[in-house]
Amino acid sequence: MLYFRMILRNAKRSARDYLIYFVTMTLCVTLFYGFLSVTSRYYDPDLGVEYDLDFMSDGMKLAICLVSLLLLFLIWYVNRYMIRRRQKEFALQTIMGMERGVTAALFFAETLIMGLLSVVCGILLGMLGSQFITAMLLQSYGRPFRLTWTLFPDTAVLTLLFFLLAYLIMGAWNTRMIRKIPVIDMLHAERKNEEDFRKSRWMPVLTLLYGILLCWMTATGISKAYFYWDPRYALPVHLMFGFNILFPGAALLYGVLWLMMPGKRVGKKKRGRSFRVLIAGWLFLSLASACAAAVVSPVSMDFYLPTGAGTLNQYMMFLIADIIYFICALIYLANDGICMIKERFPKIRYRGENLFLFGQIVSKLRTTTKTVTLICITLTLSICLFLAVPFLAGWADGYLEQRSVYDIQISTQYNDTYEESELPDDNYDFVTAYLEEQKIKIKDDCTFSLYLLVRDEFDQRVKYDFPVAAIALSDYNHLLTMRGYEPITLDDDEFTTQWQSIAAEETKKEFLAGHREMSTDSGTLKLSEEGIYDFALGETLYNTYTDLVYVFPDSVCENLLAVNRNRYITTEESVPLEKALELERIFSENYPETEQGTHYYIRTSSQQINSTTAMAFILRAAMTYSAVVLLVICFTILALQQLSDLPDWKQRFGLLRDIGVEDSHISRIILIQLGVWFGIPVGISGAVSAVVMGYFFRMYRAQISAYIGKAELTVQTGAIAVILLGLLLCYFVSTWQMCLVGSAGKNWCRE
Amino acid sequence: MREVLRLEHIQKYYGNGGNITKAIRDISFSVEEGEFLGIMGASGSGKTTLLNCISTIDTVSAGHIFLDGRDVTEIREKEIARFRRENLGFIFQDFNLLDTLTISENIALALTISKVPSGEVEGRVREIARRLNIEEILDRYPWQVSGGQKQRCACARAVVNHPKLILADEPTGALDSHSSRMLLGTISGMNEQLGATILMVTHDSFSASYAKRILFLRDGEIFTEIRRGTASRKEFFDRILDVLTMMGGGSDAVL
Repeated sequence: MLYFRMILRNAKRSARDYLIYFVTMTLCVTLFYGFLSVTSRYYDPDLGVEYDLDFMSDGMKLAICLVSLLLLFLIWYVNRYMIRRRQKEFALQTIMGMERGVTAALFFAETLIMGLLSVVCGILLGMLGSQFITAMLLQSYGRPFRLTWTLFPDTAVLTLLFFLLAYLIMGAWNTRMIRKIPVIDMLHAERKNEEDFRKSRWMPVLTLLYGILLCWMTATGISKAYFYWDPRYALPVHLMFGFNILFPGAALLYGVLWLMMPGKRVGKKKRGRSFRVLIAGWLFLSLASACAAAVVSPVSMDFYLPTGAGTLNQYMMFLIADIIYFICALIYLANDGICMIKERFPKIRYRGENLFLFGQIVSKLRTTTKTVTLICITLTLSICLFLAVPFLAGWADGYLEQRSVYDIQISTQYNDTYEESELPDDNYDFVTAYLEEQKIKIKDDCTFSLYLLVRDEFDQRVKYDFPVAAIALSDYNHLLTMRGYEPITLDDDEFTTQWQSIAAEETKKEFLAGHREMSTDSGTLKLSEEGIYDFALGETLYNTYTDLVYVFPDSVCENLLAVNRNRYITTEESVPLEKALELERIFSENYPETEQGTHYYIRTSSQQINSTTAMAFILRAAMTYSAVVLLVICFTILALQQLSDLPDWKQRFGLLRDIGVEDSHISRIILIQLGVWFGIPVGISGAVSAVVMGYFFRMYRAQISAYIGKAELTVQTGAIAVILLGLLLCYFVSTWQMCLVGSAGKNWCRE
Repeated sequence: MREVLRLEHIQKYYGNGGNITKAIRDISFSVEEGEFLGIMGASGSGKTTLLNCISTIDTVSAGHIFLDGRDVTEIREKEIARFRRENLGFIFQDFNLLDTLTISENIALALTISKVPSGEVEGRVREIARRLNIEEILDRYPWQVSGGQKQRCACARAVVNHPKLILADEPTGALDSHSSRMLLGTISGMNEQLGATILMVTHDSFSASYAKRILFLRDGEIFTEIRRGTASRKEFFDRILDVLTMMGGGSDAVL
């Protein structure tokens, strides 16, 4: 009974300590439950007959469980924070004769009470979160949303089990910790300062690892340049290979020179200074090396280099390693800079309350450097995930819109056909029969051929020189009418072009400038006044590896070689998913996969929408979930990092008040201190993620303008940035307020 | 001698209605420049309340406190911090040094918040450290030095700014007898060599014997006052014990 009362009293008394922990855990449970509810057996939103959710459930469950493992880290960190806050109390209990095991059990019970309370609150809030996810899901499928309140028992049990297991694991860890720490250390832990962060092994070890990586990067650079060497490559390609040897090599050379520098081993201070020189040099060289690794992908794409996926992935890995080292080095140097200002500039050190501020910051530099570096990397990942969501999901949605423009699309490819007699000439009548049998009314239907300009082009199979196909004007106009566009006209000696939306404007203009006239087997045609069309007519209209199709008068096409045979159908109502899958099965029976000869393909919009939307939703949900979880972890740890010092703050700031420092100055000191610890990781990760995302957006600018739209992406990215800043502000202000409250009071007035 | 501090009919009540505690009933006294005044009394006699009122941390219910001619009970809230910074120095029972700063930085802090030019800071810190014999530990952190050294550092911090009045609240409370003796020697030295005016609250007769004058408080009033004059410290100590015996707490203090 006494113990029970102690647990309750402790939990109540530590309520303020637990506040951030409780709020964060509730938020995590809310997210966990909300996202997982979509996979519940009882979850049945009105998606209509043509779609089902089975495909999505498993992928989603796996993604959420994997991401949620990250939460274990947060629970561990918060527990460690609580132990640090309470260790003096534990020591007193032990001195008074309480068993260590009992102390640990009391603490465990206390955290469990708060934890379970947060699970209950989290599930209740999760019901609201679940509505948000459902709204997101229904919006993906283009369905209306209606608010419904449902508690999914299986999801609730799973949530409870997951978090209970997490608390149990942490409880065991805590018990071990409390049993292990010597009582004397518990009593005096808070009085001791950390050692100089420059004596920590963290950065030297990282630097050594980066040095090894530099050797690998230089060796890879040399081997790739040798392997892919071709004097005919354009200058940018040579530069790319050159820079990927030059920068890692220069960094290595710099490291060797540093090792040979005199005075390295003369006294501790001297060593510290020279290490700073190494880090500063490698900071710039890692940035240069990151830029060199970053250009490999775009240059390979632009110049059609034969670099395989393995090489590209390897350079992507180098890029990530460079960025991580850059962040670590930058934070190390920033903190070193703070120490240096304090040590070398008495004018700054002895100005007003600066001495106190430096003391506050420098005393925790050792652990904060490590934590802030990890937070910075995690935060960068989180921001990149956040910003990538509208990009990737928009890409998937936009691509779907471009390719599922007809209810049924049948197309062919002659890439593996070597005889003209094997070319397709089918009208796919069995499809009509199946649709009639299933009572699916056809609204419009167009069967057409794609032609080659000259017969000789049939043998032209080099990937980068694949021939552009042509379509007859009447077929093209039929397709335009099917899609709701106005038909076009052409004179008998004219041609025009229809482009895929992904093609860039410059490419189109450049191409047409060199193709004003076209020689065909039926004579020469000249470019019509309206030379460029880019209606959304589906992506199977174009020959493989090409972004355009010529539109020729019908009379011209009669004498050309037909290489592909397509059929596009629109129906009165959407084809139900089940029937669409059945049609695909019948089609593959009629046209089985073969290694040689014509390849036949069928695409139904129901199946495409179902699978792509589900994939896009999983992508969007999992990425949002991961990003939010990472963000919550980062901000909570940043806040706890400051709050863990709070018991000392009362004494420290109380003393300042006693010796005559105004409250306004104390608020300013607290604000600057929090500004430094929030500002360094947020500023660095914000800048790094802006550069990384800018790089990706630039690399995929064609896809962005084709599938999402630059303005749309800018608005979405801006909205996300505003939300992130809002979240940061919430955490910052609440931490600041807690610090202000915690630092209030004077030491002198004790009675 | 110039008068530094004057208290006129100070009263301090806590609570309201029928439940009023009179912490200070009516106290008046004055302190002259360069004086070392001790205040003694049993628990609840009003020692700390009096100190809180003088240090502007607490307000009086009635009466006036003049520090260097200025009525501190009339100072506006906004000006209090500045007033304290410019006029008072503090020595706390539990040292109250900042663990995040070295001993020299702890002393320098008092100068920097008073906006002493940065070029002067280090010289003044070194000078006071030399006088208080803590030069060797200037670069250490508080947790690396002994209690006595910590308290001498606290003394250095209190006196480095040449405040008009140094308030010491049970400065030997957390020290062993040897360290106490060393510290009291230091405080005496501050008073005699540096001319610092010191007001020390203590319940320890031995510590009090270092003062030049002692006020004995009982139930919120001055019970009596004794001056050391030309007597030796041993004689003064005996007189303190006599007063305490007379007040009823003497046997405790002796035993």
